[in-house]
Amino acid sequence: MTSHAPNMTATPDAAPEQRARFLAGLAEMRRRLLAARPDLVVMFVNDHVQNFFYDNLPAYCVGVGDTHWAPKGAATFLKIPQRQVPGASAWGKALLAEGLEAGFDLAVSHDLEFWDDVSVPAHFLMPEGTLPIVPVLTNCVAPPLPTPKRSWALGGFIRRFIGARPANERVALIATGGISHWIGVPNTGHINPDWDHWVLDTIAEGRGEELAGLTWDQIERDGGNGGQEIRNWIAVLAAVPGVKGEILTYEPVKEWLTGAGAIWLHV
Amino acid sequence: MSDYHLNRVLYERAREHKMAEAIGPDEVAAYDLTPEERAALADGDLDALFRLGANPYLIRRVFRRRFAL
Repeated sequence: MTSHAPNMTATPDAAPEQRARFLAGLAEMRRRLLAARPDLVVMFVNDHVQNFFYDNLPAYCVGVGDTHWAPKGAATFLKIPQRQVPGASAWGKALLAEGLEAGFDLAVSHDLEFWDDVSVPAHFLMPEGTLPIVPVLTNCVAPPLPTPKRSWALGGFIRRFIGARPANERVALIATGGISHWIGVPNTGHINPDWDHWVLDTIAEGRGEELAGLTWDQIERDGGNGGQEIRNWIAVLAAVPGVKGEILTYEPVKEWLTGAGAIWLHV
Repeated sequence: MSDYHLNRVLYERAREHKMAEAIGPDEVAAYDLTPEERAALADGDLDALFRLGANPYLIRRVFRRRFAL
């Protein structure tokens, strides 16, 4: 699980020491991801009002396209070349169908364009662009949002879904977003390292389920409107409940307007 | 009053990666906006836009140059 922020790549000269330490954490995450030899990766991410607008805004959505743009129109701004990354259409459609059967009213998209949500982490973790990605999007940006409890339940379903897949299939789970940040609101740029440390320590100690008990108000107060993206992390924590985590890096980066953390779960 | 049309103004600019310091009345004549919304856009008053229900991510995208970082 890792934070995402456009300025990680859009302003590459900012906060050089913190950037180097954070990217060292992502490099370690990449090393472990490759060593795990996944066949595909399910990415729990959120739209930033680029795919979904107020005319049609799903709480949860599965991306089933053969490819996804990561990035497309944001390439110039993010300073990441425009590219399409592979999807896993059949796997995503199976997840969608089983999810609906299980009572999760997931929306579906065959054509997604990602911003920093997928593009920035994928640029550092999967620069080859060969590992198929199934994105699972949660509305974290246009309240009212689905509850953290519901994201925990969704992660539990995904655990059961993966458990019923062929035993030789290797699936990696990645969540991006969070931790504390205030974006586009009157106190934009505020970061709350105390909350960030609490989140990371709670996960490291294997008590991730506590995060599912947070309310929108608590997250908004302590983690800011950007902290609402912690829903992505909560879904992954529910898919591997009780496991301990290892904090790979944490930097409150003013120039990125976010508490930037990355944590590996020892499954 | 719904904030839908106010967000539509910002969303359409964000989709085209257009940044602005302010958005004048001529640019939004075709949108169904309240006088308050038109004034906040024309003034580039980000706090007022937030209070009126503009999505903060869209505020950030369209008015990026107005933020210190």
